[in-house]
Amino acid sequence: MTTLSEASKTRAQNEVQRLLYDVSTVRAVVLATIDGFDIASAMRDELEPARIAAMASSISAISEVVSQEARLGRGKCVTLDTEEGFALVHAVHHPQVPLVVNVIAGKDAILGQITYRVTQLARSLAEI
Amino acid sequence: MHEYKLLFTGTMGAGKTTAIGAVSDSAPLVTDVLNTDASVAKARTTVGLDFGQFTLDNGDRVRLFGTPGQSRFDFLWKILAKNALGLVILADNSRPDPLADLTVYLDGFREELATLPCVVGVGRLDSHASPNLDDYAALLAQRGLVLPLLPVDVRRRDDVVLLIDTLLAQLEAHLYEDENHDDAE
Repeated sequence: MTTLSEASKTRAQNEVQRLLYDVSTVRAVVLATIDGFDIASAMRDELEPARIAAMASSISAISEVVSQEARLGRGKCVTLDTEEGFALVHAVHHPQVPLVVNVIAGKDAILGQITYRVTQLARSLAEI
Repeated sequence: MHEYKLLFTGTMGAGKTTAIGAVSDSAPLVTDVLNTDASVAKARTTVGLDFGQFTLDNGDRVRLFGTPGQSRFDFLWKILAKNALGLVILADNSRPDPLADLTVYLDGFREELATLPCVVGVGRLDSHASPNLDDYAALLAQRGLVLPLLPVDVRRRDDVVLLIDTLLAQLEAHLYEDENHDDAE
């Protein structure tokens, strides 16, 4: 099986939406398949989920080969620290469909809080 | 010793990863993941980049980069094309409309094609004769392009080496022209 059921997609959408509601500094959350198709998203800003999904997929794949090359084990999370905030790309180790979640947060965000919540989200999404 | 950066692009499934793997001196770096696109019968697909390298008889080193094929990854096409000295576009003749596929890359690399040498490799011509190489040439001519067109089986190292040699020959011709142009001035 390489796709999520409609019920799973609905649950994923709810989880993604909840993070956006719960954390005011989060600007966008996009859940994507590992090959770059967006399957759930929630946005405060006008961003294109399809493009974010493709970029998250690339970042995740490139970080995975770096991790393998450095013998650091399976990749978990990549953090982009920028002038205006953070972008986190976190692997979702779903047993049937490998996924990746991308969270974009503004400059008022606290990295530790975002990382903690994204890790929780990735864990929940792995069980949908 | 010279170093060349060459970029492989083209349709998903045309064999960019395979081509780089066929000639690379060391195990190529690949970023293949599970393909979830049911419209393409392919288990895995590149979503980041491919990388391999090989050394020519004269000691020059060729670094080979491959792009993802799908246009949703076009942001990577520009990144990977930076500093490239030549472009290989691979077409898959078994696809429903290979000429339309080629157009995607001619558009996507329009700026690079204005200055970089390029060669087009057409795969699966043995089993899918149409369009033929003349049809490809006609499409290129419509866009004012004259590029070498080669039938290839990217699983065969010799075919991939021929693509690279063709590109390097163009590159040397460009350098020769530039030198002569400078001398004339």
